[in-house]
Amino acid sequence: MEAPQYVAARVQRALAEDERTHELGIRVDVRGEQLFLRGQVTGDERRALIADVAGEAAPGLTVRNEITVMEVRGPGEEEKL
Amino acid sequence: MRELRIAAVGDVHLDESLRGRYRERLDGIEEHADVLLLAGDLTRHGTLEEARVVADEFRDLPIPVIAVLGNHDHHSDLPAEIASMLSEAGITVLHDDATVLDIDGVRLGVVGGKGFGGGYAGKCASDFGEPEIKAFVGHTKRIAERWRVALKELQADRRVVLSHYSPVKDTLHGEPLEIYPFLGSYLLAEAVDAEGADLIVHGHAHAGTEKGVTPGGIRVRNVALPVLGRAYGVYCL
Repeated sequence: MEAPQYVAARVQRALAEDERTHELGIRVDVRGEQLFLRGQVTGDERRALIADVAGEAAPGLTVRNEITVMEVRGPGEEEKL
Repeated sequence: MRELRIAAVGDVHLDESLRGRYRERLDGIEEHADVLLLAGDLTRHGTLEEARVVADEFRDLPIPVIAVLGNHDHHSDLPAEIASMLSEAGITVLHDDATVLDIDGVRLGVVGGKGFGGGYAGKCASDFGEPEIKAFVGHTKRIAERWRVALKELQADRRVVLSHYSPVKDTLHGEPLEIYPFLGSYLLAEAVDAEGADLIVHGHAHAGTEKGVTPGGIRVRNVALPVLGRAYGVYCL
């Protein structure tokens, strides 16, 4: 059986290198038969796409998509330097 | 001398699916800021289609817009084409050079460029060994030297450095230590500390933190959108 560390590394590379995602900021963890994805993205579509690419890179594992969609707020308070 | 209000954001990673979504957050920006700085990674894959969305989101704002590109904007090997598309939309794109704006009689000088990696003092790559390593480190060294020269020649009342990669570790807190050498280089901070500036803004480190300082005491702000969580940060000088 392939070591889970190698599976996680392969998924992380796929997310960075696959032209559908080019996503560098997602944390990938493999625990048993489960593949956990964590991080922040800007929309639902992107969140789903990342799970698709991750699933293809690790067939047989159950993808647990824990990525959150970031809400961008207004500019907020200025900082005086 | 009047206060200058610098708005800044990086890593907006726009593509067609996000068209119009960023623009609506820029409404009324002129009430909050005198200039908007974009700290690279404006696109996802560095394609011209994505660059067109960036140009449309940031064109014709009531305040000047100054940008640098990031590593994502280089992915399709079209940085020059992307830069000219942004220039045509009225955005000043810096490539290891400087621009000076006159804001109500106060000269704001901005030196900027993508920057690059290599790591931080004592734990960094050196210009030694295989040609691939020398090319990696040499790229950062050349950039840092161009920034030093641009700052030395800069005639302005207030001086800001705009980068994509981080010049300091402070603003990387939250990122895994193992990837620090890919997030920035102390050579960038060393060059800025040598010539002086009032503020450095950068992006790239999505999991980092907003506030830091160079060894020479210059304030550094990581304005990557996921770090800010708001449309842009505003810093008053």
